[in-house]
Amino acid sequence: MTATVVPRMSRGVRFRRDSDGSAMLLVPEGILRLNDSAAATLELVNGTRTLTAIVDALCARYAVTREDASRDVDDLIERLSRRGYVDR
Amino acid sequence: MNAPRATSLLCELTYRCNLQCPYCYNPLDLDSYRDELPTETWLRVVAEAAAMGILHIGLSGGEPTLRRDLPEIVAAASRAGLYTNLITQGTFLDDTRLDELLAAGLEHVQISIQAPTEALADQIAGTRVHANKELAIERVMRRNVALTLNCVLHRGNHDAIADVIAFAERHGIAKLELANVQFYGWAYRNRAALLPTRDQIDRALDVVAAARARLAGRMQIAYVLPDYFGDRPKACMNGWGRAFLTVTPDGRVLPCPAAAAIRTLHFERVQDRPLAEIWERSDAFVAYRGTAWMPEPCRSCDRREIDWGGCRCQAFLLTGDAGATDPVCTLSPEHERVIAALGVDGGAPLVPRRMKQPV
Ligand SMILES: C[S@@+](CC[C@H](N)C(=O)[O-])C[C@H]1O[C@@H](n2cnc3c(N)ncnc32)[C@H](O)[C@@H]1O
Ligand code: SF4
Ligand code: SF4
Repeated sequence: MTATVVPRMSRGVRFRRDSDGSAMLLVPEGILRLNDSAAATLELVNGTRTLTAIVDALCARYAVTREDASRDVDDLIERLSRRGYVDR
Repeated sequence: MNAPRATSLLCELTYRCNLQCPYCYNPLDLDSYRDELPTETWLRVVAEAAAMGILHIGLSGGEPTLRRDLPEIVAAASRAGLYTNLITQGTFLDDTRLDELLAAGLEHVQISIQAPTEALADQIAGTRVHANKELAIERVMRRNVALTLNCVLHRGNHDAIADVIAFAERHGIAKLELANVQFYGWAYRNRAALLPTRDQIDRALDVVAAARARLAGRMQIAYVLPDYFGDRPKACMNGWGRAFLTVTPDGRVLPCPAAAAIRTLHFERVQDRPLAEIWERSDAFVAYRGTAWMPEPCRSCDRREIDWGGCRCQAFLLTGDAGATDPVCTLSPEHERVIAALGVDGGAPLVPRRMKQPV
């Protein structure tokens, strides 16, 4: 995916973190529970950060290689955009 | 077993409706629900829901926009952080109403149409409404809110599926739900006339596959094979009493919007007991929660925590026993009942949904 792409949540999709730390996407059909890595990524999706900036932020925060982070982010954004939850 | 966390609440605010869809899954005895909960009780239900960890709230019915207090209920849900989804047929969504609802924090609108063309749609609805709905769709599209277009498919409109997709495309719809009719309430009563044919479904699958490819990235199209034509049941409500609850216009709390038909269960009311207690401990919710209640073949089946034995309401309607394996499962000893229904040809006249049942 192009590094300058700026992903954002589609209309009607909302990220939410609960008091117990669990994260989810609230979508028209219901609730999509997120694993830690997806949650960390989506928390950074704000409609202004590029994919590169998201990967940078993940690398700064967690012990991940750039290569792994970049692949996971691409993969997640691709899957969610195919389901209409993220626009890019 | 301990109750899992409930996450979604469907508020059926009223069963009143100006349409008469013969496919409606609402109960047949609509007239017995005229005693609707007052605003303050709905506001309390919303507050209790948020307090017990519910995250998502659907506002439906009947036609929920017939309730004047709808914006107030949306605002309360929204302030409590709940995701709000309005499920409407759209005939009352004028500019003022819509702006009130959006100002109240509404996050998603679902509008249903009966068919892609006026003549057929109005015939199915039993009244002239299609043109008005089209205006409502346009109004929503002009605003900054997510919209899903829904069309319930049955024998009488299944072949118009390509035109439904074209209609959605013309209106710039990003999410289209082609909902195969599910047989509860009025739809169960009209089942013989509503059941699509195998040929219709095969053709629809081709049309949907082609449209999905052509519209990839522009329109999401949901089309789920009707369970009568599958060999395993749907994971109805993701399991009884596992995530979903419904409150009816008169305050009954149901594990599934169709459950009031199960006359062997007693459903408690929000007027009498806190929502969380009804969810955790009421007999109706406990009855089919988890797997302990299951008979064979479910009890020893490796799908028992995938589909949870299918739909309790369907089991009741088809076998008289809400604790039976869902008969749409080919492993069910009563699967013959589904096969028999598929064999009936659709000559039966459609009975329109009315507040008072015709005798
Ligand atoms: C009962 S309706 C109430 C809301 C509103 N009156 C409407 O029809 O849009 C809720 C949703 O279920 C759909 N629906 C109604 N009967 C159905 C059935 N038998 N099977 C599947 N979906 C159905 C409607 O199209 C609508 O999207
Ligand atoms: S499905 Fe049709 S009849 Fe039933 S509530 Fe909705 S619009 Fe009214
Ligand atoms: S036997 Fe029961 S658990 Fe197994 S697939 Fe059929 S309905 Fe599901």
